[in-house]
Amino acid sequence: MLNFILKRILSLIPVLFVVSVVVFLLVHITPGDPASVMLGPEASPQEVAKLQEELGLNRPILEQYVTWVGDIFKGDLGTSLFMKQPVLTAFLEHLGPTFSLAIMAQLFAIVLAIPLGVLSAKFRGSILDQTFMGISLVGISVPSFLLGLFLILLFGVELRWLPVAGYKPLEAGLDVHIRYLILPAIALGSMQAALIARMTRSSMLDVLSANFIKTARAKGVKEFIITMKHSLRNAFIPILTIIGQTFGTLVAGAAVVETVFNIPGIGQLIINSVERRDFEVIQGVVLLIAVSYVTINLVIDLLYGIVDPRLRVGKR
Amino acid sequence: MKKANWLFLMIVGVLFVLAACSSDDSAGGKGAESNKDYSELQVAYNAQPPTLDPLMTTAVATRDVARNIYESLVTLDKDSKVVPMLAESVEESEDGKVITFKLRQGVKFHNGDELTAEDVVASMQRWMTTTGLGKTYFADATFEKVDDTTVRLVMPKRLFIALHLLADPSQIAIITTEEANSSSAADGLTEFVGTGPYKFVEWKNDQYIHLGKFNDYVAVDSPANGLSGKKEAHYENIYFNIVTDASTRFAGIQTGEYQVANAIPFDNVAQLETSDTVKTSINHNGFNAVVFNKRAGLFAKKEARQAVNAALDQEAILRAAFSSPEFYELEHNLMIKDQTDWYTDAGRDQYNQKDTNKAKALLKQAGYNGEEIVILSTRDYEDHYNAAVVVQQQLESLGMKVKLDIYDWPTVQQRRTDEKAYDIFITGFPTEPVPNKYVFLDSKGEWAGWTNSPKIDDLLGKIAGAATQEEAKGYYSDLMVEVYDYVPIIKFGNKTTVTAYDTSVEGYDFLQGIILWNLK
Repeated sequence: MLNFILKRILSLIPVLFVVSVVVFLLVHITPGDPASVMLGPEASPQEVAKLQEELGLNRPILEQYVTWVGDIFKGDLGTSLFMKQPVLTAFLEHLGPTFSLAIMAQLFAIVLAIPLGVLSAKFRGSILDQTFMGISLVGISVPSFLLGLFLILLFGVELRWLPVAGYKPLEAGLDVHIRYLILPAIALGSMQAALIARMTRSSMLDVLSANFIKTARAKGVKEFIITMKHSLRNAFIPILTIIGQTFGTLVAGAAVVETVFNIPGIGQLIINSVERRDFEVIQGVVLLIAVSYVTINLVIDLLYGIVDPRLRVGKR
Repeated sequence: MKKANWLFLMIVGVLFVLAACSSDDSAGGKGAESNKDYSELQVAYNAQPPTLDPLMTTAVATRDVARNIYESLVTLDKDSKVVPMLAESVEESEDGKVITFKLRQGVKFHNGDELTAEDVVASMQRWMTTTGLGKTYFADATFEKVDDTTVRLVMPKRLFIALHLLADPSQIAIITTEEANSSSAADGLTEFVGTGPYKFVEWKNDQYIHLGKFNDYVAVDSPANGLSGKKEAHYENIYFNIVTDASTRFAGIQTGEYQVANAIPFDNVAQLETSDTVKTSINHNGFNAVVFNKRAGLFAKKEARQAVNAALDQEAILRAAFSSPEFYELEHNLMIKDQTDWYTDAGRDQYNQKDTNKAKALLKQAGYNGEEIVILSTRDYEDHYNAAVVVQQQLESLGMKVKLDIYDWPTVQQRRTDEKAYDIFITGFPTEPVPNKYVFLDSKGEWAGWTNSPKIDDLLGKIAGAATQEEAKGYYSDLMVEVYDYVPIIKFGNKTTVTAYDTSVEGYDFLQGIILWNLK
């Protein structure tokens, strides 16, 4: 087992090396430099050149890469040129809002989608079913930014029920924290809700036509119990899978919603950093995200190995 | 459970969640409140400043936030005339080489220390050695302490525009403490201590900059006038919320989430005009222009630049960029009409000519033979892009082959420094307090586009060395004629920016940026 774990960890090294090279090159080959952005549009070429030198941006690219990687091994991901704070600190500061938003969006998706999916399956072919599936089709098709703007207009500007922008941390109170996340969570979670609802429906349909359900009905079990206990529980495995799969998409999709609702999350950090050409933040944050994905995959691989020993010895 | 029951439960559930989420004091409605709450002013601002040290950048965001924290010896009134701020009086020697500033007494910094001559000397030395303006115009000048309440600027020769430069709001010559100056790093101040009506409290990156009222602020005893005069600071706190998305700023001002929102899209202004809770203010905000690459390619030839100037229909360009005449003004002059010390009619006859025949003749003279012309622009600023599209069409109607190269703004900023990458780029310029500050005039600055006109340089020198405003204005008039002959750029016309604010807020003002300190 130890051998297996070591092998898997060693296999990460080339992956992370490639990621670091690609990210670094992408950032440095893209035109635009942070010195010009920081100094403003009226800065003279001499001032820009001086700042580039101070920031070390005119050193050979290989030298810059080696310095960056060397610092990472010392635990230093660099310092934001623009925000003047360590990249890791900036990342962690922006992680909270993204995480809260993703969880809220996922909760919204699950709470809305599973009952709709169950109802659709239960009343298959009815107007209810067609309506719900029509709505879910809209949910998949409408881009989150458009839905976000619509929600802002309706619940913010017209009805004035909910705030239209900003983020309040948990310290401001759970109710305040949640109120600021409701509209963005709906905008972000709608596509997930639609996917989950459709998956719930089809999975439930499979189960509802199974023999053991017919047996339960024949035994006189109440319809509610059949639906919630016997059917939904058995249909839940593919639903869980899709919930897990969509969570990653949710974090990625948060970038757009964060911009529309002005939530200072990871997506907005990356977008702002690209606009400012804040090289250190872009490459640091992208690397951190890559490391997170790779680590999660590693953990899952290891779990597979634990669950199914054949995977550990598969190569022998 | 019957179908109807299922549905009923679902609907009740959704309504319950929504009802629980809304509350009486929810996001909006501040505009309708009768009891004035001065605890905080929420401002939706469109960009995060790169720093709060104005000496380190010309970024507009830094200018707009920092002006609440810092003050300078002299500043500008609404007519762009130089007036004292931290100085009580200003006296120029007859030969124009020495300017003496008598400091106001009892002015305090945010850390409680009283303003001293040492603080002023340290701050001004840093400004002269750090900023582009300082290095260009004051390289051989010194700031000296005369006594505890007097300092003087000593220059090797007369510099007529010296006071204007010291009052320039874009890279404001801030006065901070001697300690703050000495502890400043290569990337600027490490502590933000000024004498302004608001003090720095907190900066949450990409969220907000929080300023707090400075209770010991000592205001001057004259009415508020532009950036000068009395500053009262009614609000206890100002939050500059960084809201980069224009539609979010627009929605936020409508709901009362923010009391002030800057850079409102022109297309949204009509919607706000019918609002009972929101007012708009349309303010002059510099101009956009075509900038030629004068170092390489077709437009290295003056006749080619003159041809474009002869051809352009400025009104069509401005309408495309700003949608309605209330947001632009056809204006040939680099200085605006409010700048009465400078404004002149010279050059007007060369503006907005729409003379296709003349343009074609000049193009022929320049030897144009169908080569592709590249216009560099961005969609980050829609007014730049829309103007670029119309310029392209107008040049194509002359028979020119024109290509648009569209990038994000940082890329444009970099590509415009490459003489082989373009022929024209579109950009905006702020209103400057003196003509010499326009970066596209001076050849020494080597600013993108590379103007190189000995005549323009000579006239800029004459303005700088003029003995009187009248003399300077005469040279400026000659300069305008020369600008329309050499054509380093082509100004489209004056542009505006729109700020929206809650109707409960009074005292909003604008002069090269939003002025918030007298809001009540």
